[in-house]
Amino acid sequence: MKLSLNWIKDFVKLPDDLTMSQLAFDLTMATVEVEGVHDLSKQFDGIVVGVINEVLPHPNADKLRVCKVDIGADEIKEIVCGGSNLEAGMKVVVACPGAMVRWHGEGEPVEIKNTKLRGVASFGMICAAVEVGLSDLFPTDDDHAIMDISYLDVKPGINLADALDLNDMILEIDNKSMTNRPDLWGHYGIARELAALYDLPLKDIEKYVPETDTAYDVRILDTERCPRYIGAKIENLSVKEAPFYMQSRLWRVGLRPINALVDITNYVMLAVGQPTHVFDSNHIIDHIEVRRADEGEKLQLLNDKEIELCTDDLVIADSEGAVALAGVMGGAKDSVLPDTESVILEVANFNSHGVRRTALRYDNRTEASARYEKAIDPERCDLAVTLSMELFKELYPEMKVVAYCDSYPNKLVKKEIDVDFDWLDRRLGMRIPQEVVSKKLGSMGYEVTFTEKGMHIVVPTWRSTGDVSIKADIMEEVARMYGYENFQPTSITTTFDGAINQLRVDLVRKIKEYLSFRCNMQEIFTYPWMTDTFVNALLPDTNEVFALSTPPSPSEKYVRSTLLPNICKAIVKNERNFPEFAIFEEAKIFRDCNYAHEYDEKEALPYERRHLGCAFVGSPDKVTELFRTAKGVIGMMPRYTHMEEFTFKKVEKPYWADETVWLNVFLGEKKIGDLALLSHKAKTDCGIKVVSAVLVEIDMDSLIPFKSRTNRFVHIPEFPMNEYDLSFLVDSMVKWEDIYSACMLKKSGDSLLKDVRFVDEYKGKQIPKGKKSVTIRLVIGSSEKTLTGEEIEAAAKSVLKKLTKNLGAEIRS
Amino acid sequence: MKEKLDALLCDGTAEILAAENENELQVVKGKYLGKDGLVTKLLKEIPTLDVSLRPEMGKAVNQVKNALGEKIDARREEIKNKAFAISPDFDCTVPGLTPQIGGLHPITQMCYDLNDAFRSMGFEVFSGPEITSEYFAFDNLNFPPNHPARESMDTYWLEGHDSGEANEKLCLRPHLTGDSVRYMQTHKPPYRFVYPGRVYRNETTDARHERAFFQYEALIVDKDFTYTAGKVMIKSILSKVFGQDVPVRMRAGFFPFVEPGFEIDMGCLVCGGKGCSVCKHVGWIEIMPGGTPHPNVLRAAGVDPDEYTGFYVNIGLDRLVMMRYGVDDVRMFHSTDLRFLTQFR
Repeated sequence: MKLSLNWIKDFVKLPDDLTMSQLAFDLTMATVEVEGVHDLSKQFDGIVVGVINEVLPHPNADKLRVCKVDIGADEIKEIVCGGSNLEAGMKVVVACPGAMVRWHGEGEPVEIKNTKLRGVASFGMICAAVEVGLSDLFPTDDDHAIMDISYLDVKPGINLADALDLNDMILEIDNKSMTNRPDLWGHYGIARELAALYDLPLKDIEKYVPETDTAYDVRILDTERCPRYIGAKIENLSVKEAPFYMQSRLWRVGLRPINALVDITNYVMLAVGQPTHVFDSNHIIDHIEVRRADEGEKLQLLNDKEIELCTDDLVIADSEGAVALAGVMGGAKDSVLPDTESVILEVANFNSHGVRRTALRYDNRTEASARYEKAIDPERCDLAVTLSMELFKELYPEMKVVAYCDSYPNKLVKKEIDVDFDWLDRRLGMRIPQEVVSKKLGSMGYEVTFTEKGMHIVVPTWRSTGDVSIKADIMEEVARMYGYENFQPTSITTTFDGAINQLRVDLVRKIKEYLSFRCNMQEIFTYPWMTDTFVNALLPDTNEVFALSTPPSPSEKYVRSTLLPNICKAIVKNERNFPEFAIFEEAKIFRDCNYAHEYDEKEALPYERRHLGCAFVGSPDKVTELFRTAKGVIGMMPRYTHMEEFTFKKVEKPYWADETVWLNVFLGEKKIGDLALLSHKAKTDCGIKVVSAVLVEIDMDSLIPFKSRTNRFVHIPEFPMNEYDLSFLVDSMVKWEDIYSACMLKKSGDSLLKDVRFVDEYKGKQIPKGKKSVTIRLVIGSSEKTLTGEEIEAAAKSVLKKLTKNLGAEIRS
Repeated sequence: MKEKLDALLCDGTAEILAAENENELQVVKGKYLGKDGLVTKLLKEIPTLDVSLRPEMGKAVNQVKNALGEKIDARREEIKNKAFAISPDFDCTVPGLTPQIGGLHPITQMCYDLNDAFRSMGFEVFSGPEITSEYFAFDNLNFPPNHPARESMDTYWLEGHDSGEANEKLCLRPHLTGDSVRYMQTHKPPYRFVYPGRVYRNETTDARHERAFFQYEALIVDKDFTYTAGKVMIKSILSKVFGQDVPVRMRAGFFPFVEPGFEIDMGCLVCGGKGCSVCKHVGWIEIMPGGTPHPNVLRAAGVDPDEYTGFYVNIGLDRLVMMRYGVDDVRMFHSTDLRFLTQFR
């Protein structure tokens, strides 16, 4: 919202030494955010009134003229101009060199310079209204007409801002910062706030006393939706231009002047924040009624849009039908026309929620509906009527109010609040003298009476529509008026109540840090919805998968029940830039089942679990490495993050997994996840072009963090351990697990074989078909002595014997 | 014998210098100075010489023995020094072999930085469900049924759960504040906790608006906790996170969960408060709303608002991270693009 400082000054006399930056700061800290302040006169720097003494033809151009222009201080300048309405004696707007104008009203402002036009030197420029930003105030149909200000009684050379009284400061207020303050949506409201801030008197607006006894027929049929309606029939009017000051003020705060009758309503709204409306009284048949619309009733609005109403809409109607959408917009039929001579002035109060619903329903939010939506108090109608009548009188001295009605069936009840001083002091953290408190509240319109322990406060009507209702609100009023920046900082005190120990929170972080910093994987974030392509590729069905009522797009309706579809989407996104990478995501998954009352007996929430999803991505000829990396990363995770160990088993193949390369992750007897190669079909269906991926998904909520570090110290061996590598051929279907078991077969406690490790396996050239070469490393040692070479050799031989016997292993020659 | 000695010294020296490594040197040493070495042999011959010659020859042989010994030691040093020298064309400017880059999402990093700061002040970390009922999303949070905020937080309702009573309607949570009620209902005051998490709004996206974003809320509930203590708290947290003293100001603001409510600004760290394009030339950047929890919110959580008060802030992590790194499009955070994500350390 834009505000004119001059307009505010109509209602409160601000101190002369108050700077604009101070005012903007004070308002920002205490009331609303001032987004900017700009000096209106600045845009007219170097732009002055000139008088054309002579209009001469241009020697080289038919359409141009050379004007001799008096720009004051005895200076006559030659200015080349193409204006269609140039005449000697005319007062015009001259932009001197250095001034900023907008060429033909378009583009960014440019600086005027001394120049030559078709060979003739020209001092500055004679401007059209559009070039100095005044086309709204000086409208013209002729694109080539320059701005004619001959009517002004001013001397040449005077600055245009002075000549037109455009010296003003414009404040730009962030609308969002005052959605809760309906009282501030006009100059009077801001003036009241400033008066309270600076302890200044606010101009009183006296209640209007009608000059007629004749009642205008107003019938309110829904007093809930329309608590008050003032209707006045005014005669002896005409459609004409509003006075310049009025047009100018409207223009300054962003409204286009239309005609005097409409301008009065807008002016009143901007002054006191109360929308008003005028109907041409000739077109209102019999009376005004405020009622709900009939289902399907039609109404043509002022903007010529025809709408079909419903029973939730409140309309202003005459005996024949709806004439206006209450609080939103007038109808076309009864609007002010060029021949309007008498009007019905409407100053009314409408319920905020109803106006909001109607405005949204027809996508028709207006200046009026925006104000009603904030919940205006019905008492404000009085201010608007008084001001309206003053303006009608001023613009139409002959005007007559011939009928009047103030129907106020639903009186606003002022809120009353009791505040304890002791409570106030404790909450504020300091004692503000009681007189200061009551004075500040008083200047904002609160009626304060002291009670035994505190104050009894009656809230003014303009704050009683929802904004102020409890004692915390009063505390806020006191604190902001005292000045938030005037409170001393206080330190935070607390009683020590045991150290924070959140194992589960810590575990999630440890896992993410383990994956990021030890396993060099990158964390990603994805949306909670999945794209259909990936859902189809990875899920067997969508049973128990949630869908959104209004999804971001038709192909993104499913809410994730697994992290893998989005992870695959991320693979597609990145494979074109990276031949290999590893990513993970930690996020919630959801299923439409297992409802439980975890937090509240009233609320049953569905299955929701924190999952971890990983992808190890690389070239298809490195599937073994990808698989072993994934298995290593997941297998080592418990060691680095201090939780119960996992085991890998093959129990249930994930739908999306390769036929062979898959494992389930187990914690004890519970399956908590999968680790598998994405099948060729799923990969192709996802649109992954080149890379292969080993995916992992684990239910993190099932993980069990250790309460503390639990493992025990083991003595380091006293005698050396010896490593002995064995390479042999076995059938290619033999598993590492089989080899390990065979080595450990019948191993007694005092056996010299301490461990067997996998080193390598190889299939291909030089290896017979159906066989593979495996290299294992035996760890051989004794706890009693240093072994001799012969003893080590013997131990290794006995292992080889077991392998030969049980697996048919042959030593490689 | 004298000539023999001279020849030995001469040959020995030459052979020592010709030795290319420790082994060769050992061989030369053995040949001359070993048990049966040439010089050793001569020494053994001394007693067979004429008595008058013995002292002189003994001395001469010992001199040769010592000389060769020294030369061998010197040559050994030379060999040691030379043995591991790398060819001078070794290029020290070749880049290091870096481990594959991995890392936390920049929003996770910021979240953990804040967690560390808050936990150092005795806060617990809490997280609630991301699917919530309307009851916890709006009803018990001081949003009257027709409150415009319900519309402004355009919510993702779940199909088949988008009508009926408030406790039956389910949505992806539009904000975190419901979580604070969940925490308070299950714990006893005083409270001191943070509850970071993802929230979802059905909005049109652009460089500054997202449908999924990350918020970070913190709540203290205690007896007579004043807003000025809240200001000290925010200042401490931000100063720790940003590693420097951060000026903080609080000004009037309105949010349904709080009363009084504040807009909290931090001094612009880019220009140090002088005014620049980042702070739109005001020297301050609006980073979070906050305030005293509204009595209705405390009541919903079963806490007596006459006895308890507190302080609440809601930090938009996306925005804070954008400011920290100069990211100009919020949608990058969910892009999954590794060229973006791997930039943050």
